[in-house]
Amino acid sequence: MYEFGIKTPTSIDDVKTALGEAEDGQFLAGGQTLIPVLKQRLAMPSDLISLSRVGELSGIKVSGDGISIKAMTTHAAVAADDDVKSAIPALARLAGGIGDPHVRNRGTIGGSIANNDPAADYPAAVLGLGATVITTEREIDADNFFTGMFDTSLKEGELITEIAFPIPEVAAYIKFPNPATRYALVGVMVAKNGNTVRVAVTGAGPCVFRVPEMEQALTASFSPDSIKDGMVADDDLNNDIHASGYYRAHLIGVLARRAVAEANG
Amino acid sequence: MSTFVARNGIGESQRRLEDFRFLTGHGQYIDDINLENQTYAMVLRSPEAHADIKSIDVSEAQALDGVLLIVTGEDWKAAGYDPIPTKSGVRKFKDGSDLKEPPHHPIAIDRVRYVGQPVALVVAESLDICRDALELIDVDYDSLPAVSHQSAAIKDGAPQIWDIAPNNICLDFELGDEEAQKKAFEAADHVITLELVNNRVTAAPIEPRGALADYDAATGKYTLWNSSQNIHANRDTMADTVLKIGKDNLHHIAPDVGGGFGAKNGVYQEPILILHATKQLGRPVKWINDRAESFLSDTHGRDQVSKVQLALDNDGTFRGLRTETVGNLGAFCGTVGPFTPTGGSSRTQGGPFRFDGIYYTAIAPFTNTCPLDPYRGAGRPEGSYQMDRIIDYAAAKLGMDPIELRRKNLIPESALPMKSPMGLDIDCGNFPEVFERTLQLSDREGYAKRKEATETKGLKRGFGVCMYLECTGGGPKEEATVKFRDDGKVDLSVGSSSTGMGHETVFAQLLAGHLGLPIEDISFHQADTDATSLGGGHGGSRGLEVGGSAVTQTSREIIEVGKKIAAHRFDVDADRVAFEDGRFHVPDTNHTMTIRDAIDAQNDPENLPDDLEPGCMNVSSVFERGVISIPNGGHACEVEVDADTGSIKVDGYWVVDDFGTIVNKMLADGQVMGGIAQGIGQALLENIVYDESGQLVTGSLMDYALPRADDIPNMVIGYYEDAPTQKNLLGVKGAGEAGCVGAPPAVVNAVCDALKEFGVHHIDMPLTPERVWRAIQDAKSNN
Repeated sequence: MYEFGIKTPTSIDDVKTALGEAEDGQFLAGGQTLIPVLKQRLAMPSDLISLSRVGELSGIKVSGDGISIKAMTTHAAVAADDDVKSAIPALARLAGGIGDPHVRNRGTIGGSIANNDPAADYPAAVLGLGATVITTEREIDADNFFTGMFDTSLKEGELITEIAFPIPEVAAYIKFPNPATRYALVGVMVAKNGNTVRVAVTGAGPCVFRVPEMEQALTASFSPDSIKDGMVADDDLNNDIHASGYYRAHLIGVLARRAVAEANG
Repeated sequence: MSTFVARNGIGESQRRLEDFRFLTGHGQYIDDINLENQTYAMVLRSPEAHADIKSIDVSEAQALDGVLLIVTGEDWKAAGYDPIPTKSGVRKFKDGSDLKEPPHHPIAIDRVRYVGQPVALVVAESLDICRDALELIDVDYDSLPAVSHQSAAIKDGAPQIWDIAPNNICLDFELGDEEAQKKAFEAADHVITLELVNNRVTAAPIEPRGALADYDAATGKYTLWNSSQNIHANRDTMADTVLKIGKDNLHHIAPDVGGGFGAKNGVYQEPILILHATKQLGRPVKWINDRAESFLSDTHGRDQVSKVQLALDNDGTFRGLRTETVGNLGAFCGTVGPFTPTGGSSRTQGGPFRFDGIYYTAIAPFTNTCPLDPYRGAGRPEGSYQMDRIIDYAAAKLGMDPIELRRKNLIPESALPMKSPMGLDIDCGNFPEVFERTLQLSDREGYAKRKEATETKGLKRGFGVCMYLECTGGGPKEEATVKFRDDGKVDLSVGSSSTGMGHETVFAQLLAGHLGLPIEDISFHQADTDATSLGGGHGGSRGLEVGGSAVTQTSREIIEVGKKIAAHRFDVDADRVAFEDGRFHVPDTNHTMTIRDAIDAQNDPENLPDDLEPGCMNVSSVFERGVISIPNGGHACEVEVDADTGSIKVDGYWVVDDFGTIVNKMLADGQVMGGIAQGIGQALLENIVYDESGQLVTGSLMDYALPRADDIPNMVIGYYEDAPTQKNLLGVKGAGEAGCVGAPPAVVNAVCDALKEFGVHHIDMPLTPERVWRAIQDAKSNN
């Protein structure tokens, strides 16, 4: 690590002040990505602005047809939350399958989606369930939030405060873990809400993405048989030592079919 | 508490004495040891696979506050040290010429030849200052073409790594009888050929390599605490050959070592560099590799490509076997690197099966990759993989039953003892019985039901077996030293070092069992060149075979001395004294004396006969193994394969090992389980990948897949104990490596069995989901 200062504000207002005062400040949520990056000397912020003592950034709230999860809520808390488990079991299971107990007890939903790792699980949930990302400045639709590899539409200094998930009729997330990292080699979230079906894929490309062809076919008939081979072209998918784009394209189909079957119970 | 061990310590599952220390965080690993005035060292490693070093500018780094010393190849050249020699047991080409041994200096001189090779050593007041300094060293490289794969390295026109080695060939090799093999091939009904890859892996011990060096200017002596598996031989090489400081001036200690698996056997560069640095500075120097550096710089294992041919008759009788291997050596000769693909892989060719003729050849080329050295099994896993894969492949090609093929060709008990076609002295064992017991243990009757249950889930189930035969190795000598202290404790030192396998327990168990002393009284000291005059290190599954025999021999000598003391007290001839359960007694009399009485008596000349000196029960004895032993056994494995994704679950594992006498079943089980876990890792997950330009692609645990607990099945382990060997004092055959000798072929055979309906008969390791899925697709499109 290079040297850095650390600030521990306790309110969102203080967070803004702390960031304004820092020469090159960086938010620290659960630190599950940022700390290893710092240890490898791949980043050199002047100050870390820790969010872990900001009480108003933590918690889970059910309201009518939605669940709102504050940004600093840990994966373990989401996985164990009874409201999440009964309203969107797929989301609880997704959170419970991230990393290992250490990661789940430190890592946060806000940190995960702000980082937008191409193989992270949460982006598939946010995009697949059609959530809204609420920040200190505005509300951003999931469709407009994830903009590229490790990139989002967040502006400099903009802080995610909560993520609002609509409660779907049915949803399921199936992840095919990378054998080395247990991140998603491919992960597919399928959600059905009325006449709307959303299919979001993580791990397979440079950034989480939806599959319109599958969504249309599933809107017509929400059945595994609606998923056909070749609905995702492999041209833009990741090719690495763990899997080719060709294989990932195949897995998307297999996992989507399994997700639909699971959603249908 | 006083725990007494029966039957001379043999057969008791004594619980591990070291575990309390380990589990409560009181182990003494290198980073737990800190000396006053200690400094810290880090290594600048080459980012280039092959390049000339045009210049190294250390001026900015040198100027940094807290930087104490920077060492580069220029300094090394000026110091005039000799290179690190290879100790490969095979040193001659087939034509009798010497192997090509390039100079292996601990730090690159003028040219780098692999990514990760040390280019500079920085010593500073703290690790952070070291890191800052590393960033300030400016090395100007002039890149050269590189080659990372052994098959590419031996082609005409490939980049040449060493002038002395045309076509990069360090060594070639042959063993066996080519005439007999060719005749056998001509006579046979079929010759089945399979080309296979034994994938490159890294040991990834949980404690990375590290060392702490301290020079004492007053005495001119050095102390080196080193996370090493082989302190005596490596002391000699470092002190006598490389630094020329004299081995008596280097006190080499391996404290608790957190895993080695062969990767800590060899002489490494960094400990030599910090020995140089501690003298220059007059201060202790500590160096610890981090995990990323470990991937770059720990010697890798395996990495052989082979063409295997099996000749057999229509009735399944094996006739001949021919294997041609090209084994990657990396950029230099490792400490025993050139031996692995030559001698190491050749000796067990043919396994426990009967052949008319076997012939093995190997070529061992240099490449622009990290040097290779032993990894658990060091050649025998490769041999066993070749043998047990070609059997299943031939069975699939010829429509035979792989179990029946093995049954038909196993060497019968009546044929033993015998000399194998590759020269191994197979003294005892019962291969057909071990094989049948393996099948019984694996519940073949219940298989159909398990297969049905698997298929209900939409998956494929497969069963695979392996009948391995391997051999022990490593240094033939070991010393065990026992000293009875005045406080009643017993110091036991053995030169062989533990990297976690339980020497502290089993050696104490043997000594306590022989002498009838409570095991708690024994204080074990491992791997210290001041404690024992010699030591063979740890490798080749030799710990119990050689070290355990040394403890036994020393125990017996102590008892003989004790008998003389008892005879003196009772005024009888020593040959009338018997010893049993910790007591000397004279049969048909009421004369008895405990071992403790004898120990207490040993320091007073009054108590001793004329031919004994005070302290006579403090015995040090060297055991020398004449001939290596032959562990063997059967592995059986069941897998579930998801044909839609290619993912594999190992769903059952059974093994019956013939390790001769089992001294401590719990420790043996631990060795078997650990070996199988590593074997499953190699078969399904692990792969060190270099790209064609020599860059390491799998440089972290994010890309190198180690097995996790849920990748490993429950294992049912049995032992065949009816064939103890006479080659050592305990009848043991070596348990340390057998697990990963047997596991890879058993797992791959099971997967191929599961996929035979698709026409898939071979997939190269590691069997990643994509490889498996593609194999199914390819087979489908070919049918």
